Amino acid sequence: MLPLWFIPLFPLIGTILLGAIAVISSGSKKGPAEGIVGTLAVAFPTFAFASVVLVAYTMPVGGIRETLCNWIDIPLFRADIGFLFDGLTRVMLLFITGIGALITLYSIGYMHGDRGFARFFSYINLFLFSMIVLVLSDSLLFTFLGWEGVGLCSYLLIGFWNKDLNNCKAANKAFIVNRVGDIGFILGMLCLITIGGSSLLNYESLNAFVRMLSGDMLATVLPILCLAGVLFFVGCTGKSAQIPLLTWLPDAMAGPTPVSALIHAATMVTSGVYLLARLSSMFVLIPVVLDIITWIGLLTAFWAAVAGLFQNDIKKVLAYSTISQLGYMFMAAGVVAFDASIFHVFTHAFFKAALFLGAGAIIHALSGEQDMRKMGGMIKKTPVTACVMIFAFLAIIGFPGFAGFWSKDLILEKLYVSGPMGPALYGVALLTAVITAVYMGRLIVMTFFGSYRGSKESEAHIHEAPVCMLFPMLVLSLGSIFAGYLWAEAIGLDFFKETLAPVVGGAQNLYFAAKGGVSHVNPLIFAGLGTAAALLGIFLALVLFGGRVPQAKGSSAPEGYKATWTFLFDSVHKYCGIIPVSVLAWLAEMVVDKILQGVQWTVGSLAEILGDGTRNLQVRKLRLQIALSIAGTAALIIIVLVTGGLI
Amino acid sequence: MELQAIYIQFLALALFSIGLVVAISRRNIFFVLMGVELALNAVNLSFVGFSKTLPDTLSVTGQIVPLFTIAIAAAEACVGLAMVILIFRNRESMDANTYSNMKG
Amino acid sequence: MLALIYFIILGVIALGSAICVFLSRHPLYGALSLVLSMVSLAGIYGLLGSPFVGVVQIMVYAGAIMMLLTFVIMVLNGARDSKTPMFDKVSLFVIPAVLALSGLVGFALVQAPIAFDASALRGSVALTSQTLFDTSSKGQGYFVLFEVLGLLLLSAMVAAVLLAKKRLGSINEGEDK
Repeated sequence: MLPLWFIPLFPLIGTILLGAIAVISSGSKKGPAEGIVGTLAVAFPTFAFASVVLVAYTMPVGGIRETLCNWIDIPLFRADIGFLFDGLTRVMLLFITGIGALITLYSIGYMHGDRGFARFFSYINLFLFSMIVLVLSDSLLFTFLGWEGVGLCSYLLIGFWNKDLNNCKAANKAFIVNRVGDIGFILGMLCLITIGGSSLLNYESLNAFVRMLSGDMLATVLPILCLAGVLFFVGCTGKSAQIPLLTWLPDAMAGPTPVSALIHAATMVTSGVYLLARLSSMFVLIPVVLDIITWIGLLTAFWAAVAGLFQNDIKKVLAYSTISQLGYMFMAAGVVAFDASIFHVFTHAFFKAALFLGAGAIIHALSGEQDMRKMGGMIKKTPVTACVMIFAFLAIIGFPGFAGFWSKDLILEKLYVSGPMGPALYGVALLTAVITAVYMGRLIVMTFFGSYRGSKESEAHIHEAPVCMLFPMLVLSLGSIFAGYLWAEAIGLDFFKETLAPVVGGAQNLYFAAKGGVSHVNPLIFAGLGTAAALLGIFLALVLFGGRVPQAKGSSAPEGYKATWTFLFDSVHKYCGIIPVSVLAWLAEMVVDKILQGVQWTVGSLAEILGDGTRNLQVRKLRLQIALSIAGTAALIIIVLVTGGLI
Repeated sequence: MELQAIYIQFLALALFSIGLVVAISRRNIFFVLMGVELALNAVNLSFVGFSKTLPDTLSVTGQIVPLFTIAIAAAEACVGLAMVILIFRNRESMDANTYSNMKG
Repeated sequence: MLALIYFIILGVIALGSAICVFLSRHPLYGALSLVLSMVSLAGIYGLLGSPFVGVVQIMVYAGAIMMLLTFVIMVLNGARDSKTPMFDKVSLFVIPAVLALSGLVGFALVQAPIAFDASALRGSVALTSQTLFDTSSKGQGYFVLFEVLGLLLLSAMVAAVLLAKKRLGSINEGEDK
């Protein structure tokens, strides 16, 4: 049996090795040999993937628990470094390490010739390490370590090309916005500690504690539990780019494209959904928070889909589609379909990674051009990439038979049956699905069909991507076709549900039992409606964008901290967050700082005056000091004699 | 009237006090050294005086410690005088007050 | 009775010469007074039945150390120092402080019941050396201290030579220039 700590160990070793190579080679002009660095960079995630597969096959139904060592042991607070490998972790780890390894392989081709080759792969390995820690840990505190590590790596990778100030600003924005969410996470943990001590941070004991709650006790802790739920959700909105903390994700496109793929598909943004599923037993007790999650997810999905319609940058379209899909996942979590939301995470990982890698291949072929208005007709030049993209496109819009079809329709169905508001939710979500098909169709049409709209000399350079980039794309496109069959309810496959049942099934059953059962509906109707939505979307895209394409004016490259079409969210942040904080900071500087400085100055000058006086007694007056010490001794003895030495 | 042990201690105390006063109050560096020697002598006397109040073979111990003290005093005088020579060469002064290097 | 008379005579000489050390202007006079004080102390040692210590006192202290001191005083010509005052304001403060302290110690001494023990050995050289060099496991182990003392004296000698000698290197440098 493989010890669990092997899994995160591999990427960690990779990080250290590649980091060492990057540091050592930083002085040389040529940089390290790309062959060696690339091999090392791919080897470690692959090892991690292999060990995950090994563990996943031998895993007992209940999961594996392992405590590595004690981490913090102080009065009132105890935390261990422990690992938990169960159904949820298995699913997450399989696609994190698997897709991570594929993306790393792809990056070798994409980053070819970049000066920071070794540094890039060191970051990528660190990213995977953090994500594995996040998913594999058995306590919230250790998860938080991975959570923060992921935030750090996203900062490092988004700002990877740090010569450009805009990239640095985008990285800063991602980092700072994530911090807001992280504060929510920390406060949520503190809430849990207030209820039941630091042992509650462990998932197992949290579940046991929640199961034990009933009656008066539940009523007592419910307000704090609600607060904790809201705070954890704030943490999730930060990482998973939900309203209101979503503006960082479109700007995160400033990084290299494989990084976008990694952030959007396999890692980072899925951690919010993971956390919701992990804490499912807690969330089912607090329906208020679940409602909030549903509505936020719905709004996010709809808004991001609308915003995606107006992007000209190929990566930004994909960024908004990610936000939109994450909104779906949150909706599913909000209506207590945690397994469905994780399933969508799973399928989404495949087709979104395929889309990003395809977009990366096109950008690579066009030597860095990202504006869709300057593309067109690429299907003739890069047929393989085009096929991959089209498969992934069919998956994301929910075309029958593809991965997204099964997961998205599952979510839609769960929305419909969720309660009195169900049909309304379903309607908006279905509309969103139509819009999704429209903007994704627009992307495909503008990129691959029609005639090439770029300059003539750039057209000559267009070439298909090298094999090491094509291979991961092909694997992922296969995944985006077939991943859905793990849980195809319409044809009776529910392997995925069984896998997740030991983790989230109990909580879901409890919730639905309390609500009085689930109303059953015919899944075929939903499948039909979903297909209709997808077809309608494609039709609209063809009609609206098939013929004329507006001329490109200006650059569409990411402008650092300024996302376009954020529906005032940047302004909301500015007026609700940044300006009040700035005022507070100004106040703090003017008032508190000045007062503190005054106090400091007073204390300091007092000390100086005293010191000057003392110095006059001490310096150059050795004999006087000896005499004084003799007198002092005499005085002490006199005091002792007079008082009898009994004080 | 017989010689009492306490008389010797008083003599030693008086000598020690004089030695201390000489060592601290005189500014000439030689007097400082001589004051220290005088104080050491007084301590020796005190040792011998106390040793005679002990019974039998224990009283011998009180004579051995003064021997050590004398040897250490010899070492101290040796190093101290060497330092006096060194300092005198640099400062051309016997005044202990001028030997301070500290600013202030 | 006779012992008391001898003690008073020797003690007065010792105290008087110590006060002379305090009051003498020239260091050479001070050193000579100190020698006198030490010799009279040696007499008191003999009176107390420790003639060996007394003899060592005369030989090492009054002989070697004070000779060295006198020699250095003469070499450095301390008489040149007649400009600096003998006492200053600190001295005025030191005397009462020391008097207070010694008064207290004297008070403590008066309180303490001490008296000569009749069985105390009138120390012979043989007995002293037996105790000092007793290397048996039951002994006090003074011989170890004795060896360490030898090392101390050696290192003191080396230190003194190093401190007092003229820098050899500096001469060479001067020649180079």
